[in-house]
Amino acid sequence: MAFEDDSFLTRPVDRRTFIKRGVAFVGATAFTPPAYLRAVFDEDSRPLSAPSVANFAASKKHVMVVLQLAGGNDGLNTVIPVGDRAYFDARPAIAQNPEASLPLGQGLALNPVMTGMKALYDRGQLGVVLGVGYPNPNRSHFRSMDIWHSASMDEQADTGWVGRLLDATKNEQSSLWRAANIGQSLPLSLESNESFVPSVGSVPEYVLQTDGGPQEGARRTQNFVQLHRAQADNLATQAAYGGQLAFLSRTGLEAYQSTVDLHAAVGAYTTSVTYPTTPLANAFKTAAQLITSNLSTGIVYITTGGFDTHSGQTNVQNGLLANVSNALLAFYEDLQAQGVADQVTTLAWSEFGRRVKENASRGTDHGTAGPMFVVGGGVRSGLHGEQPSMTNLDNGDLKFTTDFRSVYASVIAQRFGIDPKDVLGASYPTLPLYE
Amino acid sequence: MAMTTDRQRIQHLLRRAGFGYSPEELREYLALGVEGTVDRLLNPERVDDSASENAALALREKALQDRQVLLATWHTRLVLTKRPLLEKMTLFWHDHFANSIRKVNAPAFMLQQNETLRAGALGKFRDLLQAITRDPAMMVFLDNRDNVAKAPNENYARELFELFTLGQGVLYTEKDIKESARALTGWRVTAEKPTPDATFNVPTGVVFTPRNFDNGTKTIFGQSGRFGDEDVVRMVTARKECAELIGRKMWQFFAVKNPSADMLRRTTDAYFANDTSIREMLRVILLSPEMYSEEAYRWRISSPVEHVIQTVRTFGLTDRIQRVGRDTQVQGQALFDPPSVAGWDWGEAWINSNTALYRANFVNDVTRRGKPGTTATVDVAALLQANNATRTAEQAVDFALDLVVGGDVDAATRSTLIEHIGGSHYDFAQAARSGQLQGLLYLVLSMPLAQLV
Repeated sequence: MAFEDDSFLTRPVDRRTFIKRGVAFVGATAFTPPAYLRAVFDEDSRPLSAPSVANFAASKKHVMVVLQLAGGNDGLNTVIPVGDRAYFDARPAIAQNPEASLPLGQGLALNPVMTGMKALYDRGQLGVVLGVGYPNPNRSHFRSMDIWHSASMDEQADTGWVGRLLDATKNEQSSLWRAANIGQSLPLSLESNESFVPSVGSVPEYVLQTDGGPQEGARRTQNFVQLHRAQADNLATQAAYGGQLAFLSRTGLEAYQSTVDLHAAVGAYTTSVTYPTTPLANAFKTAAQLITSNLSTGIVYITTGGFDTHSGQTNVQNGLLANVSNALLAFYEDLQAQGVADQVTTLAWSEFGRRVKENASRGTDHGTAGPMFVVGGGVRSGLHGEQPSMTNLDNGDLKFTTDFRSVYASVIAQRFGIDPKDVLGASYPTLPLYE
Repeated sequence: MAMTTDRQRIQHLLRRAGFGYSPEELREYLALGVEGTVDRLLNPERVDDSASENAALALREKALQDRQVLLATWHTRLVLTKRPLLEKMTLFWHDHFANSIRKVNAPAFMLQQNETLRAGALGKFRDLLQAITRDPAMMVFLDNRDNVAKAPNENYARELFELFTLGQGVLYTEKDIKESARALTGWRVTAEKPTPDATFNVPTGVVFTPRNFDNGTKTIFGQSGRFGDEDVVRMVTARKECAELIGRKMWQFFAVKNPSADMLRRTTDAYFANDTSIREMLRVILLSPEMYSEEAYRWRISSPVEHVIQTVRTFGLTDRIQRVGRDTQVQGQALFDPPSVAGWDWGEAWINSNTALYRANFVNDVTRRGKPGTTATVDVAALLQANNATRTAEQAVDFALDLVVGGDVDAATRSTLIEHIGGSHYDFAQAARSGQLQGLLYLVLSMPLAQLV
C-alpha cells in the first residue's frame, strides 16, 4: 500500500481553470452536446468553436507513443553483443544463439524472436539507443521506475515528464484526448499539475451506462453529471475530505465528457492490417484508432509487464519480446497504410537492465543500463550512442553511456519543438534521433 | 466533518475497520457503543462465524485447483463474514506481502497463503513474518526457493527489508542484504498443495535441506553469527523502524493520511510492550481520538474491493458473489493479483477516467431492475418498505443517504435527489414503477462522496 505523498489538497483546483477546461473540452470536437449538458458545461456561454489548428495540429504532426517494459528488461538478451566473448562467458546457461540472432551491425544483434523489429530496422524505422541509464543507479524496481517516470532524482517528485510536457504545450482549446493512457491505471509519467489524461482499457466498454429506459436513463445521466458538477463547484467541499471529493467530482465529469467525445470520433477507424491477438497488440490498435481520429491525440502511453526474470528467463523473456516486436510491426504497418507512420514516434524503455552474469536459477538479477528503442518513420534508423563494456563493470553491472534524459530531451526538442529544459528542469545533450 | 455522535463514529469505524454495514448490522453495533464495537472487532474468535466459514470450506477442495474458485472462496468470506476486521486485516496483509498468482501459478499456494495471513492477521508480527518467510507462495514469488548456499538469490532478502519491515534504504546496506540472503538459504518447496494438517506454524510443502543452507558466519546489522531465517526475522522485527513502518501503514489505512510522530510512538510502544502484537497496535489506533477527528473523516478513496464488498454487504447481495471478481478487476483491483510486490497504489491512483466509469457502471448494474426473488441487484422499493421509508420523497432520500453516506450531503444534492423521485408530486407506487427509486440509489451510490471511506 502506498499513498502519494502529495494530497490533492496541496494543489487546489482553480475554479476558473476548471470551468475553462470544461468549456474547452466541449468545444474540442464537432460533437454538439445535448441541451442538458450544454446547460451544465457551458455556463460561460462561450460559443462552441472548431478545434484550433494552430495549437494541437502541430502535435498532430508529431505523435509520441511511450511503451513501458515493466520489471527490468534484460537488455543483453535483447540487443545481444554476439561479437563479445565476455557475453558467452557470463551466461553459459542463458546466452542466446548467435547464429539465430538478427544482426544489427557493430557486433550486436537482436534476440532471434524479434523478427518484427528487425523488419522495421531494415525498413529504416528503428533506432536503438545503447547503454541507457543514469548516475548512481537504483536497483529497486519502484524507485528506479519513479526516476524514469519523473525524470528526476527527487524522491518527492509527483509529476511525470510526459505530464509536464502536456502542461507545457496545453492551451484552452486542448482536447480531452490530447493524451491517452491505454490501460487501467495512470502511470507517474502522465501525472501533471493541470492536464487531465483519460485511461481507456476497451473502447466499446468506455461508456457511462444508465439503465431505466430512455427517459429515466437520460435523467440518471443528467443527474449523475449534476451531482458531480455540484461538488466540483463547491469550494467548501474542495477543502474538506482531504481534497479527494473535488478530485473525484472532476474526474467523474471529465470521464463522462471524454466518453462522449471518444465515441463521436473513433467510429470511422478501419484497418487492413491484422494485429496479433495479444493484449499488447490490442493496446497498439487502440492507439492507432485514437491517433487517426480527429481527437488530436498527441501522446499515447502503453505499459506491458513481466520482465522481472529472476528465474527461467529465456522462455519468459522471448515470449515477451516476441509480443512487443510483433505488436510494433503491426502498428507501424497500420500507420504506414494510413499514411501517418512518419509522424508517430514510439519510445520503449525499462526501469533497468539486468546483471551481466546470470544467476543459478537460469535467470538474471536487477542491474543497470539497457537499450531504448525509438521507432517511427522519421527516425534515424541504426545504432545510437555507445555499447557499454562487458568487462569494465561497476560491481558486476554495465556502466551507462547515455543518460535517459538525453533521449527524452531529444524527442521533446526534435518532435515537440519546445525547450526540453521546461520539461526536464535541466539541460541534457541531445542525440540526432531523427532524419 | 467532525464526528460528534456515536452513530457517526460507528458508521466511520465500520467503513474503515470493516466493509460498511447493512441496516441490521448498524443497529447491532450501535447497541454496543464505540468501545464495545472496537472490542468485538478486535476479538473475532468470540464471534460465531460458522456460516461464512462453512461456505468457504465447501469451496476449498476446488479452490486448490481452480483460480476462479480460489477467488470465490475469499469473496465469499468477505461478503458473509461476521468478523469484518479480521478480513480487513487479511486484505491489509495481502497488500503488504503482495504476491500474485501470475507468478506463483498455483491456486493451492495462494489459498494457503491467504489462510496463513488470516491466521496471523491480528497476532504477533514476528510470527506472521516468520510464517510468510517460509510460505510456499512467497518462496516462489520472491525466488527464495532458489536461494541456495552455493548461489544465493537476494530477491527475498531485499524486499524483506525494503518493503516488509524497514523501508527503502533504512538502516541496511547492500552488504546486509547479501548476508541476510545467505541466512535465508536452505528452504525448498516440495509439495504441490497443502496437506490437511498444515497449520499456521507448520506450513506444508516446504522443507529445510541442510546441504543447501549456508552454515557460515554472517554479519547483519553489525552482529555476527551462524544465522538462519529465524535470526533474520528476530533481528529485523526488533528494530524500532520496523514497528514504525507497520504502524504508519496501519494509521494510514484506518485513520489519517499523515500520522504524527507522537501517534507513531504510541503504536511502536504497543508493539514492543506486547511482543510485536498487531492486535494491540490496532487497539491504540481504533480507540485514539485521532481516529474520530475531522482529519480522519472520509479522506481516503475506497479501493475497488472495499467499494464492491461494501456495496454487496450493505444490501445483502449474496447472489452476486460470483461476479465480484470481474467487478473489482475492471475497477483496478483483483485479489491474488496485485500489480507488484509493493502491493496496490492507494489513494488517487484508484481513480482515472476508466476506473471511474467502471465504478459507476458497477453501481448501474447493482441498481438495475432484477429478477424477483434474486439478490444480485437491489430492490429499492422493497428496501424502503422494510425500513418504513416510503411515505415522502424526503423520507426515501434521507434513508438512502443515511445508509450509504451517513447523511453527510449538502442541501443542493439532497434536493436534486428528491426531485429525481418526483419532488412534491412524489408517489411511492409511481416512483417504483417508473424506475425512479432504482435511479435514486444509482445516483446515491455513484456520487463522489460514496467513493470515500
